[in-house]
Amino acid sequence: MNKMSITNASETENMKSSSLAGVLLKVLARTKLYWGLIVLLAFGAMTSPMTSKGNNIFLSIGNLTDVLRQVSVTGIVAVGMTMVIFIAGIDLSVGSLMALGTVICAMLLTQSGWTAASTFAIPATGVVIAFCAFSLIFFILKHKGKGSQEYAPSQATKITSIGIAAAIGALVMIWLAGQMAPKFGVLAVLIAVPCVGAIMGAMNGAIIVYGRLQPFIVTLAMMVGALGLARVVAGQDTAVHPVYTGSNATESFEVLRTLLWGFLPVPGVIFLGVLLFFFMLTRLTTFGSYLLAIGGNEEAARLAGIDVGRIKIATYSIAGALATLAGVLYVAQFRQGKPDAGIGLELDAIAAVVIGGTSLMGGRGAILGTLVGVLIFGFLSNVLQLNNIDSNTQLILKGIIIVAAVLLQEGRIDGTFAWFKHKLSKQ
Amino acid sequence: MERRSFGKAILAASLLATTTLTATATVAQDYVIGFSQVTTAEPWRVQFNKDLRAEAELHDNVELLIADANDRTDKQVADMENFIRQEVDAILISPKESAGLTGIVEQATDAGIPVFVLDRNVDTDKFVQWIGGDNSLIGVAAGEYALELLGGAGKAQGNIVEIFGGLGVQATFERSDPFHAAFEGEEGVTFLLDRQSGDWKQDQAYDIMSTALRNYEDIDMVYGHNDPMAYGAYLAAKDAGRADDIIFLGVDGLPGEGVTWVSNGELAATFLYPTPGAEGLRQALKHLAGEEVPAKIVMGTEAITPENADEILVRNGLK
Repeated sequence: MNKMSITNASETENMKSSSLAGVLLKVLARTKLYWGLIVLLAFGAMTSPMTSKGNNIFLSIGNLTDVLRQVSVTGIVAVGMTMVIFIAGIDLSVGSLMALGTVICAMLLTQSGWTAASTFAIPATGVVIAFCAFSLIFFILKHKGKGSQEYAPSQATKITSIGIAAAIGALVMIWLAGQMAPKFGVLAVLIAVPCVGAIMGAMNGAIIVYGRLQPFIVTLAMMVGALGLARVVAGQDTAVHPVYTGSNATESFEVLRTLLWGFLPVPGVIFLGVLLFFFMLTRLTTFGSYLLAIGGNEEAARLAGIDVGRIKIATYSIAGALATLAGVLYVAQFRQGKPDAGIGLELDAIAAVVIGGTSLMGGRGAILGTLVGVLIFGFLSNVLQLNNIDSNTQLILKGIIIVAAVLLQEGRIDGTFAWFKHKLSKQ
Repeated sequence: MERRSFGKAILAASLLATTTLTATATVAQDYVIGFSQVTTAEPWRVQFNKDLRAEAELHDNVELLIADANDRTDKQVADMENFIRQEVDAILISPKESAGLTGIVEQATDAGIPVFVLDRNVDTDKFVQWIGGDNSLIGVAAGEYALELLGGAGKAQGNIVEIFGGLGVQATFERSDPFHAAFEGEEGVTFLLDRQSGDWKQDQAYDIMSTALRNYEDIDMVYGHNDPMAYGAYLAAKDAGRADDIIFLGVDGLPGEGVTWVSNGELAATFLYPTPGAEGLRQALKHLAGEEVPAKIVMGTEAITPENADEILVRNGLK
C-alpha cells in the first residue's frame, strides 16, 4: 500500500549482512516519515526563546496548540487533496473553493433573507443531502441482499428510496430556509457550506470523468471560475465580509474558535477529527483500497470491476466539501469572508501531501503522512517566527526545507547507507 | 461551421447593441471619462471606485466608464487601448506598475486624450497630472502619534510590534521608515520583530501576532501597515486575553474597516490614506473646462481617533 514494501527487498539483504545495522536501518526506513518532523521539533525546542520564568516557549502547550490551530485550514484541505492524489489526480480549485466557502459562510452568518449566498447554498445542500440519503438507503438495501454484487432492487424499491431521499433533502431545505430569519446558526453553516463545495467538487469530477479531460486543466478552470463566482456572490462592491459575532452574527458561531478545556482550539480538533475519519476510511474500507488501485493502474482497476468514474467523482466531491469546510473554520478564526482568502492555498496543500510521502503519480501514500507534512509546515513557520527570522529569509528557508523533506521522504536512506558502507569497506 | 457563424452573429449583434447604446449615451452626455482601475479585490480600491462614482453622480454631464484590470498589467494595457479606440474625453488611470503602463499612457496622450494618473505613478511626464497620497506623511504622522502615546519625546517607554505590509512594495517602507525615525534615540522603546510581513492580510497578521504574544510577555503597541493587519493582531491579542494591555495603530482609514474599529475602541487610531477618486474626476473636469491644473497633487493624511471616528462614520452613512 505504501512504498515500504518496495524498499523491503533491499532491507532484507542488509539484514543478512549485518543484523544490528540492518535492524536499525529497517526501523529508520519504516519511520522515516516522522524523522523530519522530530528533527524539526528538536531544533525548535533547542533554539526556542525562554519565558522570564525560564520555561521553553516552543514546547509550551499554548504554542503547540497555536500551531495546531494555524495548520487546521491547510490541513483539512490537504486531507482532501491526499485522496485526490491517491487516484493520480490533482485539484487546483481547492483554494478558490475554500474562499468561496468563506464568502458564503460569512454572508449566511451576517445577512438574513434571500441573498446570493443563501439562494446558492440552500438548494445545493438539499441536492447533496438527498443524494447522500439515497446512496445510504441503497447501500443498506444492498447489504440486506447479502452484499451480492448482482443485487438489483425492484422498480418499486427504487422509486420509494428516491422518494424518501427527496423528502429528506426537502426537509433539510425547509429547515435551512427557516434559518434565514434572522441569520444562519453555527450548525446550519457547518452543514450548508460543505455541501456547496461538494457540488462544485462533483462538477470537477464529472467533467473529468465524462469529458475524459486531464484533472489539471479541469480543476484549473474551476480555480478561475470559482474565484469569479466567489467575487460575484460577495457582491461586486464588497471585497471583504466582516463577521462580528454577537453584533452582526449569531453568538453561537463563537463555538468554532473556543478552546476546549482551556487549551484545545476547536479548529484544530475538527482538523484532527477529519483526518482520523478519512484515515479510517482509506485504511479500513474498500473505498480506500479502490482509491489506491485506481491511482496505481486505472485500466486494471476498471477491468477488476471497480466503478472508476463514480469513485473519482466522489473523491473530487469530498475534496471540494473539505475545502469549503476549511472556509468555515477560516471565518471562525479570522472573522471575515473574502473571495481572495485562498490564493496559493492549493500549492501549500499539495506541498504538504508530497512531503507526507504521497506520490504525485498516484497509487501510494498515506493520510497520516499528510498530517506530518502539514505539521512540518506549521512548526517550521512557528520556529522561524519565534526566532524572529524576517519574512523574506523565511521564504528561502521554507523552499530549502521543502526540498530537504521530500528528499528525505523519497530519499534513499538505505542507498546512502550502502554508499557509506561501500566507502568504509574500501578503506 | 454553422454553429460558428451563429456565434459570430450573436457577437456582432451584441457589439452593435453596445455601440448604439454608448453612441446614444455620448450624444446625451457632454463628457465620457474612462477610468482604468488596476483591481477591485481590495477594500481600499472598492472605496476608490465608490468615491469616484459618487463624484460622477454629482455631474450630470459626465458618463463614467470603469474598467477593472484584475490586477494584471496586460489586461490594463488592453483596457487603456479600448478607451483610446472609443475616443473618450479623458482617461483616469490607477496603474498596476510603472514599467508596464508607461507606454500606454504616452500612447493615450499622443492620441490627444488627457490622462490623469492616480495613486501609483508611471515613468513619463506625458500626462496631465498625478494625484496620490503620500505614505511617508503617514509614517511621520503615525510615528509622532505613537511617540506621544508611549510617553513623549525623550521619555517614551514600550515594546512595539510592527507588522509589515508587502516586503517588495515601496509603500511598506514609506510607512515604516519615518515611523522608526520618530523613535530615534528613544532608549526606552524596543521594536520586537524583525520585518515580519503579514502581506496586508488580516489572517497572516493574526498568526504573526499569536506567535509574538507567546514570545514576548510585554507588548505595549502594535503598528500594522494597514488596518486589517492591525485588526488581525488585535483579534489575536483579544483571543489571548491581552488586548487591553496593548495599543493598536493602523493605516488606511476606510469607513467600513479602520474607522469602525477605532470607533469600537479596538484600534487606538488609524491614519487616512485618501483615495484620489473624487479629486481625480474633479481635476479632469477642470482641465476639460479649460482651467489650468497643477502637474502634481499630493493628498495629505489625517489621524482618525476616537474623537473624530464617529463623525466620519455618520458622514458615510455607517452610523
